[in-house]
Amino acid sequence: MATNVTTLHHRRLTSEQLHDLVHSAPGGPVQLTDDHRKSLTSRFRGVASPGHRRLDAWSVEQAGRGASTFRWSPATSRRVLGNGALRRMKGQRSLSIIDAVRDELADQLLRAASGYARGGSLAYWLASSPHPVLGLVTAEAVTWATQLHEIAQALPLPCTVATADAYYDVATARTTLRARRDLLLTQGDERIVVRVRAGTPGKSAGPGLRADLTIETLAHHDGIAPARFIGLWPEAGVCLSVDGTMDDLRSGARALVRTAVAQQRQRTLLAA
Amino acid sequence: MVDALRGDRTRRPRNDTTVSAGLRATLDDGLYDLIGATQLTTPVVVRPSSLHLRPKTSEFSTSSHGRLRGVLISQILRLMSVGVVIDHAFDDAVLAWRSEVDTSELLEQLDRLDDDERARLATDLGAHRVALARALGTIPAGWLPRSGVRASQRLAGGSVVLRDVVDLMIGSTTSDTASVALFDVTTSPLGEAAERTMRFHALVQTLRTSTMPLRTCTFSTATGELWMRDVDYELLSRSVDDVLEAVASLWPPT
Repeated sequence: MATNVTTLHHRRLTSEQLHDLVHSAPGGPVQLTDDHRKSLTSRFRGVASPGHRRLDAWSVEQAGRGASTFRWSPATSRRVLGNGALRRMKGQRSLSIIDAVRDELADQLLRAASGYARGGSLAYWLASSPHPVLGLVTAEAVTWATQLHEIAQALPLPCTVATADAYYDVATARTTLRARRDLLLTQGDERIVVRVRAGTPGKSAGPGLRADLTIETLAHHDGIAPARFIGLWPEAGVCLSVDGTMDDLRSGARALVRTAVAQQRQRTLLAA
Repeated sequence: MVDALRGDRTRRPRNDTTVSAGLRATLDDGLYDLIGATQLTTPVVVRPSSLHLRPKTSEFSTSSHGRLRGVLISQILRLMSVGVVIDHAFDDAVLAWRSEVDTSELLEQLDRLDDDERARLATDLGAHRVALARALGTIPAGWLPRSGVRASQRLAGGSVVLRDVVDLMIGSTTSDTASVALFDVTTSPLGEAAERTMRFHALVQTLRTSTMPLRTCTFSTATGELWMRDVDYELLSRSVDDVLEAVASLWPPT
């Protein structure tokens, strides 16, 4: 009888360990076919939802429990601005991190001033924030960008800062899946995705990482899985990774469907 | 002050990446002697403040006025680290603080202050801000300043957690030579507690990055004093003893 074996590597976050994780990534990319996508769609369609459903690694880790209401703050804006600043630095080598963050901030403010920002967006919030809050936003973004810059320098291969998270709309199931990604390493046909999170990894960090791996693969135009998906928790000095194997992809998909089911049960309980 | 923190570039030691594993093992062994194999559902959390639980601790520094002043000066340091011009120290610091904290006991205490108390705190903070600005000067962007750097380390299978926030950190962890300097600001006069905090920052940073920082320092905006220590194995071992002592005083958890 065949057994399903998923992978989960747990290492300290050091340059040597990152080198090892990148170089030891398994070869032979795994591909998700249309049949896999159809199968996932039918599973999601089987779980009723009153509105549009959005799932990500965080909802998997929280077993579908509703997150508190989102609001923009220096902490929630740092990743958008910090990653944008690093992308900007790739194009302008002479730019310092602080200057790059200031330029990102200025772009956001310009967007709001020219009327391109919608209510609730980061640009809209920044435009309505007082000077000291913008200062703290800059400080948070600089800290985030510096941390990511240090990580990028510790990686053994040249990497790019992801332009956006990976999104996948499950057709006819009113479900959007989102995978967080920060750095992308490409070597030949293979790619490795690095995701950075604040705090410390909990017991369900592995399923969360597998959910991100699955969504990242679904969002790929040819359905090709990354060789390895690495999650970094710099505050804890820890990194976890999962390989792009079919077992891990299946496990990630199951975790996402289970989360949708858990959300539905919670709604039913609340209604009762 | 920032120049002193970085020191002479040619005299920096090579990055020591070997010491953290030994420190972690010493901590785990010490914790096992204290708490055994018990797995706690709620861990014992050790923060810099946990190391100060001594009768000699200044009462003023732990009063709500002192704590508020400490939080607000940290916000000012964060703003200064990215070159923000501060017009009104108190108002700017409060606005910045409110933007990142929804509710907290300390924030409620701030809201409960009457006009006289707020005016006193604002004047006090203004004086501390001037002391900090004079000492800190401008931090070059190339030194990679980052502020409010958080760290969390699980020990003894998660039964003990070390939590820390470094006010300001400069230098790179990826260079061949040790170049990370940790900077802490306090509005209290410096004493034994400040020394323990300096050591704790160095220990947690070493455990977190597996790289020994170059220096750790504390600046008092009350007296203008700067205490600075090069990080070495002896300093880190003393911090390990501090942590074990703190866990012993917090054990068993109530």
